[in-house]
Amino acid sequence: MVVPLESTGKTSVEPSADTELHRRLVYGDESALAEVYTAYGGLVRRVALRVTRSPAAAEDVAQEVFAQLWSRPYAFDAGRGTLRTWLSVLAHRRAVDWVRSEARHRKDARADDAALHTIPDAAPGPDEAVVDRERSLLLHSALAELPQPQREVVHLAYFAGRTYRQAAVELGIPEGTAKTRLRTALRTLAETLADPPDPAWERGA
Amino acid sequence: MTKDHDEVRDLLAAWAFGALEPADEKKVPLHLAECEDCAAEAERLRETVRLMDGPHDPHGPHGPHGPQARPAADTLPLALRARRATPRVAAHAAPYAAAVAGLKALLPEAAGRWSTPVVHDWDVHATLAHLLAADEPLADRLGIDTQVRPPLDIDADTPWEDAWNRRTAEVIAHEYGRTPEETVADWAAQADALLATPEAHDPELAAHAVTLMGMRLPVAEHFLVRAFETWVHSDDIGRALGLSVPPPPEAHLWQLVRLAVRILGLSLGPTAPPVLFAVTGGDEWVLGSEDEPVRAELTLNPVDFCLLVGGRYAPDEVPRGTNGDEGAVRNVLERAASLAWL
Repeated sequence: MVVPLESTGKTSVEPSADTELHRRLVYGDESALAEVYTAYGGLVRRVALRVTRSPAAAEDVAQEVFAQLWSRPYAFDAGRGTLRTWLSVLAHRRAVDWVRSEARHRKDARADDAALHTIPDAAPGPDEAVVDRERSLLLHSALAELPQPQREVVHLAYFAGRTYRQAAVELGIPEGTAKTRLRTALRTLAETLADPPDPAWERGA
Repeated sequence: MTKDHDEVRDLLAAWAFGALEPADEKKVPLHLAECEDCAAEAERLRETVRLMDGPHDPHGPHGPHGPQARPAADTLPLALRARRATPRVAAHAAPYAAAVAGLKALLPEAAGRWSTPVVHDWDVHATLAHLLAADEPLADRLGIDTQVRPPLDIDADTPWEDAWNRRTAEVIAHEYGRTPEETVADWAAQADALLATPEAHDPELAAHAVTLMGMRLPVAEHFLVRAFETWVHSDDIGRALGLSVPPPPEAHLWQLVRLAVRILGLSLGPTAPPVLFAVTGGDEWVLGSEDEPVRAELTLNPVDFCLLVGGRYAPDEVPRGTNGDEGAVRNVLERAASLAWL
């Protein structure tokens, strides 16, 4: 009988689905990207749409996110988190960047009448909608700046529809830690609203 | 009461995000009805989430006439364009094509870190230069023009190991006079040219044996040797950069294992004490003499076996399962490690 004397540290016992997908992505297997896209394309678009509120921009962000995973597969490390969280965080980051650059363009073109098209004329009244929109962007900008551990749990709870317990399991952290991180994160975001630092987010600083 | 208060307070953010467990759903509103502090906090947090959701204008800020999204069906094909497609080649060259694609994907991570020490006295740049030199004999043999580098200044009767080491030293010295990006471009161009040869596409053309680096093998197997070396050096570079390079795709890994077993068997010869050799998840072979009863059993994981043959494990360090005559096992492990030329 052959008895394995020790286990190897070089290969994991049972590679996770993400690890296997990453292996195929690294070695240029297009069907692996198609699988990731099928599984997470919806989440990525949803995140991007929530921030940009533009289906066209959300589609562009989705393309950028999957292009990034495909061309730089080593930017994702299966040892440090799940593909779901990584894609969600990346989509959010790119969507916030898109909005910042839009805001810059709008400012540059303020004299231009065409810029006024960006102001909605639908209910509940332009002023209120504009203010809400600005606050929403302020919050998403602040979310993108949160420490990574807090950001990840917010992404799972808020965008991916996970309960705090499911999020804890996915992140490999205790349930109490997940609750605490959610709370710290959301309080930080709430304080951003109460005391907006400066409109730096709009300048992309 | 206090216990309830503390528990619910910890749950308020999850509640605001709609991330409660079903069992908690009732607890929170019951407590909020009787605790002003928590009710105020809950209201503040939920309002924050509501604002993150954004205004509920049905058409978004761009109105019904905003820019149209292009069809979602285009998104994946457009994303796939971010990387050159791996060339479609015959099965014997597919592991090399994948290994080249994998190293191309790794190299952008080396930007700004080209002088990180990797293996021997090579940094990332020199390791690439070595691969450029190591792919050269097969490229030459398949009629690819490799004249951009210093001409080979080595006698034909020099032992192959010496010739190999001198050529690597020459090319490294040459490439140090250029930028890492230029070395990468030349390595990639030579690899692409190898994958574009008729021999990479036609198993019959790849069936004739040629002697390269002291090994007389069919061209098809020299392609596997190139895959093997490209992967092992990618793994070296990954370790140096703190990135975990995955093993080759399963089917390719087994092609490499079978080649290595064949070379190991030839190297052990027909009189070595026979050892039943198993690779986890795959086949078993009897290595050594066929005329004697098996003296020992040895089991290795496929990746560890490849890394042993690639010189990345000392014979006594490789994780293994053994049974029977220790000396016979040691003979196999030491012979496997001695095959390394990388």
